[in-house]
Amino acid sequence: MVLGNRDFASVTDVVCAPVEAPKPPAIWYAVFGVSLTLLLMLFGLIGHLIWTGVGVWGNNVPVAWAWPIVNFVFWVGIGHAGTLISAILFLFRQHWRTGINRFAEAMTIFAVICAGLFPGIHIGRVWVAYWLFPIPNQMQMWPQFRSPLLWDVFAVSTYFTVSLLFWYLGLIPDLATLRDRAKTKTRQLIYGIFAMGWRGSARQWHRYERGYLLLAAFSTPLVLSVHSVVSFDFAVSQVPGWHTTIFPPYFVAGAIFSGFAMVVTLSIPARALYGLKDLITVRHLETMNKVILATGMMVGYAYSIEFFIAWYGGNPVERFAFVNRAFGPYAWAYWTMALCNVLSPQIFWFKKARRSIPVMFIVAIFVNIGMWFERFVIVITSLSRDYLPSSWAYFTPTWVDVCMFIGSFGLFFTLFLLFLRFLPAVAIAEVKNVLPQAHPKHHH
Amino acid sequence: MTAPPIEKPIESQTNGNHAVTETKKYYRSFEHLENEDAVIAIIKREFPDVDADKLSPVSRRRFVQLLGASAALASATGCRWETEHIVDTNERAENRTPGVPQYFSSAMELAGVALPLQLTTFDGRPVKVEGNPRFAATGGATTAWAQASLLSFYDPERSKKVKHRANGGVEELDFAKFVTATGPTWTALRANQGAGLRVLSEASSSDALIAAKNRLLKTYPKALWHEFESISDDESREGTKLAFGGAYRPNYQLAAADVVLCLDCDLLGDHPNSVANARSFAKRRNPDAAMNRLYVVEASFSTTGAAADHRLPLRASLMGAFLNGLEEALGIPGAAGASAMTGANKVGFFIKALADDLKGAKGRCLIAIGARQPAAVQARVHRLNELLENVGKTVSYVKEQLPDRASHVEEIRALTSAMEKGQVDTLVILGGNPVYTAPSDLNFSAALAKVKQKVHLGLYDDETAQLCDWHLPAAHYLESWNDSRTWDGTHVLAQPTILPLYQGTSAVELIATLAGHEVTTGYDLVRSAFDTRYGNDELNWRRCLRDGIVPNSAWPIETPRVKGDLPPMPPAGDVGDDLDNGKLEIDFVACSKVYDGRFANNGWLQEAPDFMTRMTWDNVALIAPATADRLKVTTEQMVTLRVGDRSLDCAVYVMPGQAQSSVTIWLGYGRTAAGSVGGSVATGVAPVGFDSYKLRSTNGMWFTTGLSVQPKSETYQLSMVQEHHMIDTVGMEGREERIEMLIHEADLRQYKTNPESIHGAEHGPPLISLFDRPEKYETGHKWGLSVDLSTCTGCNACVIACQAENNVPVVGKERVWRSREMHWLRIDRYFSGDVNDPSVSSQPIMCQQCENAPCEEVCPVGATMHSKEGLNDMVYNRCVGTRYCSNNCPYKVRRFNFFNYQLKMKDSENEILKMMFNPEVTVRARGVMEKCTYCVHRIKAVTQKAKNQNRAVVDGEIVTACEQACPSQSIVFGDLNDATSRVTKRHADKRTYAMLEFLNVLPRTQYMARISNKNPALVAAAPAHAGGH
Repeated sequence: MVLGNRDFASVTDVVCAPVEAPKPPAIWYAVFGVSLTLLLMLFGLIGHLIWTGVGVWGNNVPVAWAWPIVNFVFWVGIGHAGTLISAILFLFRQHWRTGINRFAEAMTIFAVICAGLFPGIHIGRVWVAYWLFPIPNQMQMWPQFRSPLLWDVFAVSTYFTVSLLFWYLGLIPDLATLRDRAKTKTRQLIYGIFAMGWRGSARQWHRYERGYLLLAAFSTPLVLSVHSVVSFDFAVSQVPGWHTTIFPPYFVAGAIFSGFAMVVTLSIPARALYGLKDLITVRHLETMNKVILATGMMVGYAYSIEFFIAWYGGNPVERFAFVNRAFGPYAWAYWTMALCNVLSPQIFWFKKARRSIPVMFIVAIFVNIGMWFERFVIVITSLSRDYLPSSWAYFTPTWVDVCMFIGSFGLFFTLFLLFLRFLPAVAIAEVKNVLPQAHPKHHH
Repeated sequence: MTAPPIEKPIESQTNGNHAVTETKKYYRSFEHLENEDAVIAIIKREFPDVDADKLSPVSRRRFVQLLGASAALASATGCRWETEHIVDTNERAENRTPGVPQYFSSAMELAGVALPLQLTTFDGRPVKVEGNPRFAATGGATTAWAQASLLSFYDPERSKKVKHRANGGVEELDFAKFVTATGPTWTALRANQGAGLRVLSEASSSDALIAAKNRLLKTYPKALWHEFESISDDESREGTKLAFGGAYRPNYQLAAADVVLCLDCDLLGDHPNSVANARSFAKRRNPDAAMNRLYVVEASFSTTGAAADHRLPLRASLMGAFLNGLEEALGIPGAAGASAMTGANKVGFFIKALADDLKGAKGRCLIAIGARQPAAVQARVHRLNELLENVGKTVSYVKEQLPDRASHVEEIRALTSAMEKGQVDTLVILGGNPVYTAPSDLNFSAALAKVKQKVHLGLYDDETAQLCDWHLPAAHYLESWNDSRTWDGTHVLAQPTILPLYQGTSAVELIATLAGHEVTTGYDLVRSAFDTRYGNDELNWRRCLRDGIVPNSAWPIETPRVKGDLPPMPPAGDVGDDLDNGKLEIDFVACSKVYDGRFANNGWLQEAPDFMTRMTWDNVALIAPATADRLKVTTEQMVTLRVGDRSLDCAVYVMPGQAQSSVTIWLGYGRTAAGSVGGSVATGVAPVGFDSYKLRSTNGMWFTTGLSVQPKSETYQLSMVQEHHMIDTVGMEGREERIEMLIHEADLRQYKTNPESIHGAEHGPPLISLFDRPEKYETGHKWGLSVDLSTCTGCNACVIACQAENNVPVVGKERVWRSREMHWLRIDRYFSGDVNDPSVSSQPIMCQQCENAPCEEVCPVGATMHSKEGLNDMVYNRCVGTRYCSNNCPYKVRRFNFFNYQLKMKDSENEILKMMFNPEVTVRARGVMEKCTYCVHRIKAVTQKAKNQNRAVVDGEIVTACEQACPSQSIVFGDLNDATSRVTKRHADKRTYAMLEFLNVLPRTQYMARISNKNPALVAAAPAHAGGH
């Protein structure tokens, strides 16, 4: 699981090196500069949006939800792998997770931040967004709890909170390591504050592991619930193409699929740049590729069963929705999705492909694209042609739609690069746990 | 510090009772008291800190500049409506409660024909136009034009000042200045008996204007008066002259006709009497009573064509040949003999079946001919109606008001040639926009340049105004006195509801002034014309003014006989379907929205979707699918239309049901000086649509052949509200499959044998719910609405009425293209059958007020909730704008404020538009959802009144805006808990169905199936349709 015959000290050294280096590599500055520019563009566009109105997007009636919601579901989906890796694999004692879990969890947090941004600014009157929360007020207003959108608010915010706590809890021993290795007062102080007085005593380890286990148990159902609830936004409505019972498992599978693809996408450059190849090994990547293959096939199954049910159910409106998806004006989006999500992962049946960095990088990128299109297909093609043909319309995005989506990557990568610079990208304490030296029966 | 003079002005001295000799002393400080003189010297100086000698010198030039500027600014405060007539009340005036609407009877005149109206005013502002319910023929219904006239009235771009254009400059003056400045002209004209004076007037049926005209012609005996309308029924007049030897106007009694044939005649659409026609037509469309049968033969789909049981697409130039064929089939002696129309083809079958139907209904049938057809064809129809014994039964005639005037084309031709020859020194243009609307071959604007003095009276500083020396702002009908005649001659009175917003003058006032008459106010002129006709009876006047109509004043019905031989029909030419490019027919049609272009600056009308094309903000060349294939053109492609030496670049719309080899284009677009809505070159606003007047000449005012269509490579973006974009095969098939789920239709025979057949599409599992309905609405009110699809003609009156009533914003062409139109009520249109001869189904759709509303379930903030009366209420204040409700609405009736559509009202020049808002309806903010409320404010107004009076609400007392405007009474609103209400009865009718019933949303709006009355002979004989229903 760890290559290069590392001992405890060298694991610490290699993970802490990028954080403790006086200056990050030039490439970090370049990528950070681009990300920050995109982030500033995003902020500018949010200002434009709030000042002018949601009409700056291409949304219309019938397509009242469009790119912002597609982006939301896309980012929430990506935000699944982290907690899945940390919590579920932890509970299943999949020790290989230790190489990638920190990384994946950070990705989760940032993806959920990106996701949370969109529904927030998506509403017509942003300044009253707090009405979505049950805050007692003098106006006697109270949310309408039958709305899946409200469930969504709770699901996503709970997921974010728990993921953040889980991530932070896992970080504490490593923050303490950084504190202890700090060369300046400031670093010592800041890491010290966040390390919360961690001393590494047996009692603390005991409490820590118990807490970690509890949070893992707590997060596990959330991984399944958050995307199920997101899917309720669609499944509970009566729009043909949305109103299907398969959505919750299908969305969860899709989320894990896209989440793992994103972890692969990010870890390949990160492990190369930061010399973490010994800790995030090809074996890790291969295992993730297996997950991608499995979930990709689940997603493919969902695509086909949707068609089967549309035909078998005998509802002409629903049947049309699916025929229209595959052969209507958005057929290009549908087939892009099918090729990227179903066909491209099939190459992972071959061990060589599973272990080939270029192949897996390309497939992961395809999956990322395909999963964005999956949401596009679900949200937009269904809405664009629902019950009354008189209201059918084609959706055309505006430049604001496009730039805000690109800008959300700016937000994501800005946060991610800051994470790489200031926090340990691999869980030091946990990796040490899986080193042979950590086991009593170990012999040199 | 400046200080006011300390010494109190000695005002008390003026009080004669006790003169005060001693000035009371006030002081300001101790210094003042002690060192009086020095301080007073300072105080007395007006600007104590300023030494006048040290001020920088102001040149005389600068001083005069400042003086001028301050004078200009001072006069700017006068830019508002006059206030001197408003009297403050320290007690409330009698019969006046602030916030309670008042209603006035009035009338709107369009091309000389009046539509009686009832105007709603709130605190002195007109906010809604309705039909006058006292006028039986229209019964309170209106047209889209009348509904939208309110927006034109408040149009901030209406002209506000008298404009004097001279020496390349424009001077803004007032009416009095115009009178004094042009005084010498009129004195000189009086001296030479008015030689060289011409007046070009719009058509008018006003007694007062006719009296003023006579007075003017008395003052200036050599002056000439011309009347011109670009959309004129003069061919119809000429036709009656040929047939009867006198000018008559046919009036149709559609309710008495079992079989109706409309030849190129849009009785229910652009006919001047369309409202009354639609009302009487609808009376015969109830399948459970005696239903009539409507045949329509026309080139381009009209409202009437869409309502027809049988429609034959036929080029306008073939109408004469068709009539020949029909006469032959009817066995009329002296018919024009062999005709290409009676063969064993589609037209032949049609003529044969039609002739049999007409023969079987002698005295109970009707042939109506449109004003677009030449006089010779018109005359033949009058003869045919006489031979079919219809005169006096289904068609009656009244004498034309001005039987002796020449036709409008001849009038404008005569005037233009006189101007050309320099015989016109002074031209007064009373309304109208001849520079834009005159036939293009006359070259009116070039001739106009030769006139020395040109005076234009109009609502806008338009194309004509800009070529005239004087432009006078006209008073809108909502702010002036007038009288006029309805189609049947009923005398109606129009009264102002507000003082002129922009100092407008009415035509009658202007003419009286120019005639040097001592009385020049509108009221006095109208009153004196009234008194001349009916005697000076104050009570009668007041009664007529209150009612808006003079009782029993319709012109007497006459039964003229056709005289002698009629002239031959115009030659038909090639009767084939596939004419060569270059020999095609072009048809000009009055636009159902902007009419002849006069409503071009009216956003409501521009954005009203045309019923057939569903297009907003443009006109296009309508081409049949087969012809379009042949010409290799497609929708949104640009083409060059060329007739003779005239050409026009224009976009194409491929129109199912258009006659092959004919191209139809609406008039009224491509305005270059309409305003910021309709297009204005001066302010850089691109014209809306294409100016088809450029192709129109005196020898083809309505249609002509010899058109060539040259495809161009460019495309043009059209904004349609339905099929927003070209539809693909999958969509087309899906739509075809869906239609019968949405619109239930049946033929009369099928319906009679099996009434359940209309519910054919509704088979499915029983509608059961997991949950008990919390509220069953068994007590109290339970509002419902019914729309009869058998009578709906798709005239758009309800759409505009809803827009006016509910303060629905206009969003503009680009946003319609993005599917963001805001109409709360729309009319969906579906074609079925062969694309070259389809049948049309229309369906008005507003919020269906589902009892089990899907929108309510999904709103996270409870902004849309159910009322106790079962209405789906929208709480704008609470809406945060997630738009989830719109997604979940299966009928897509919800509209979202993507922008702040009221933003432009922040500009001071547009502020006046705020006065137009209906104060009963909230103006919605940016970011909130809105939709039809069933006019809940109207419901509340009546239920509260009934409650105060401790009585029940009477059925029919609450009328929604759409119901009120509907000419064919297709929409009925009422209480479903009232067993006797009309809506309850309609909902219990076997024809009634709920759209998308299988969703179990329990809509309160329900539709009555569309029943057509097909001729069995034609159904059997017709060539097989591709598809159909």
